[in-house]
Amino acid sequence: MRIGIDLGSRKVKFAVVANGSVIRLADYDTLSFYKRFGRMVDDELTFDLAGTGMFAVDELVNPSIVVTGYGRNTLSYKDAKVISEIRAHVAGAKFQTGLKDFTLLDLGGQDTKVAMVSNGRLADFVMNDKCAASSGRYLESMATILEVSLDELSSHWEHPVPLDSTCGIFGESELIGQILRGHPIARLCAGVNQTLVKRVLPMLKRFPSPNLVLTGGVALDKALVRLLEQQTGQPVLVPEHPQHNGAIGCAVIESIRV
Amino acid sequence: MNRVGFTTTIPIEILLAAGRMPVDLNNLFITSGRSRQLIEMAELEGFPRNICGWIKGIYAATLESGIKEIIAVTEGDCSNTRALMEVLSLRGITAIPFAFPGDRNPESLRLEIEKLMEHFGVGWDAVNRSRERLDRIRRKVWEIDRLTWQENLVTGEENHYYQVATSDMNSDPDGFESGIDTFLEKVHTRKPFRDTLRLAYIGVPPIIEGFYPFLESRGARVVFNETQRQFSMPYGITDLVEQYRAYTYPYDIFTRLADITVELEKRGVDAVIHYVQSFCFRQIEDMVVRQTLSLPVMTLEGDKPAPLDARTGIRIESFLEMVGDRL
Repeated sequence: MRIGIDLGSRKVKFAVVANGSVIRLADYDTLSFYKRFGRMVDDELTFDLAGTGMFAVDELVNPSIVVTGYGRNTLSYKDAKVISEIRAHVAGAKFQTGLKDFTLLDLGGQDTKVAMVSNGRLADFVMNDKCAASSGRYLESMATILEVSLDELSSHWEHPVPLDSTCGIFGESELIGQILRGHPIARLCAGVNQTLVKRVLPMLKRFPSPNLVLTGGVALDKALVRLLEQQTGQPVLVPEHPQHNGAIGCAVIESIRV
Repeated sequence: MNRVGFTTTIPIEILLAAGRMPVDLNNLFITSGRSRQLIEMAELEGFPRNICGWIKGIYAATLESGIKEIIAVTEGDCSNTRALMEVLSLRGITAIPFAFPGDRNPESLRLEIEKLMEHFGVGWDAVNRSRERLDRIRRKVWEIDRLTWQENLVTGEENHYYQVATSDMNSDPDGFESGIDTFLEKVHTRKPFRDTLRLAYIGVPPIIEGFYPFLESRGARVVFNETQRQFSMPYGITDLVEQYRAYTYPYDIFTRLADITVELEKRGVDAVIHYVQSFCFRQIEDMVVRQTLSLPVMTLEGDKPAPLDARTGIRIESFLEMVGDRL
């Protein structure tokens, strides 16, 4: 049995893989997970995995644990192997889709990653570094301004209201201005989704491929997937567990070569 | 005051011939130990946040140093330098313009050099004598570079330091030379590095701290620092005008890439890190770099002086992993 953990900026994701298939997935809000189950022992971060209630006692005897996620550079994790996010996500996408040649777009809480995979191997990648306005956190804050749920936000893609701010914070006041102009909420939601697509398109254009795989929590936004398909002119493949893709990648990486 | 500052590499042979002390304002800023505060000072005076950190750093470092005369390179580096000259002149600093002609025309360059010579009241004999003096030091620095890539005895940071310092010879050619001599003696007693990856660093010198040691802690060593090497004038040319025509940095990206391509091959480089400064026109040239070079290229962007941040660390690690897997 192999345990994969993806320590994201918004959620900590778990995947348990046995005999080549995913047998369990789970996630926790990052902060509450660290507060409840994280502890520093001799400068190493340890997690009280038994305390999470996710595992049977025998599953935690000599477990194989692989971890990825933000902050892994500043902390070391006891009893775990640490790998980079890119490697984890590519492994997860290969495992989930069975593809060997594809472009992976991973849209997480803060991260935007685009990776080109050729013949099963990572050929090149780009990541956002100076700005996180193309991430899930942007969708969350816009949903708050619009007073809609993320489910509601992700159901609108038609007739988007153009939103042009580069900055995610100025984007809020721009959105308020558009609300005052009387645009319907549905079109504003579509505008928010459209903005995110526009921000990631230049990164995607660098690595054209007939297979575009979308992962990360943002892949659950169906309106965004639709807009992405419209603007790239190609189908977007969202694997079964997009949000847990990195954790799954950690759990399977030993058995597949990336 | 005897000191003359400059905004990027200029023919320091002229300053030395005139008995003036050359000060590369970039070096003054970045080695001040207060580089972050200097940027804040410039921003408090009104420099926009979205302007190159080097320009702001040079501005504040010049004022703080008490240097009264600077040579501002208005062509061949960035156009922000023109405005920098203007604001510094408001503070009583004399700025002498110097232009590297965009077409590398020898006559235009000769005219620029002779204008500078006239300003400082020196003739060709004196300038050529100081070139010979400087070339003796430069040859020792070329040797440090050779020991970096051919003998694997020098770290990426040491290679960076000795080459970048040749722009002003640390404002003390004799002291700089004796430091080099000591280093060369010491370095021969080392055991060669056994790196897993050999990297090239291209672009302007990094504003971020801890970059080279971070790479080396992950088994990757920089064996080619492009711009820093250019500062050391590694051509063996005895004509001053031709020397500053061979110097690639102030000219177009294709001139630079011709040099880069030769060195990547010669030094057995596995991958390239292209450093670009935030808000710099050279970020556009990154497109040409990526299309021209056949090796994996990672573009790294730096804004202000700061230790390497976690996100950049993650990107570098992933890049090294990827390159390592390919070999």
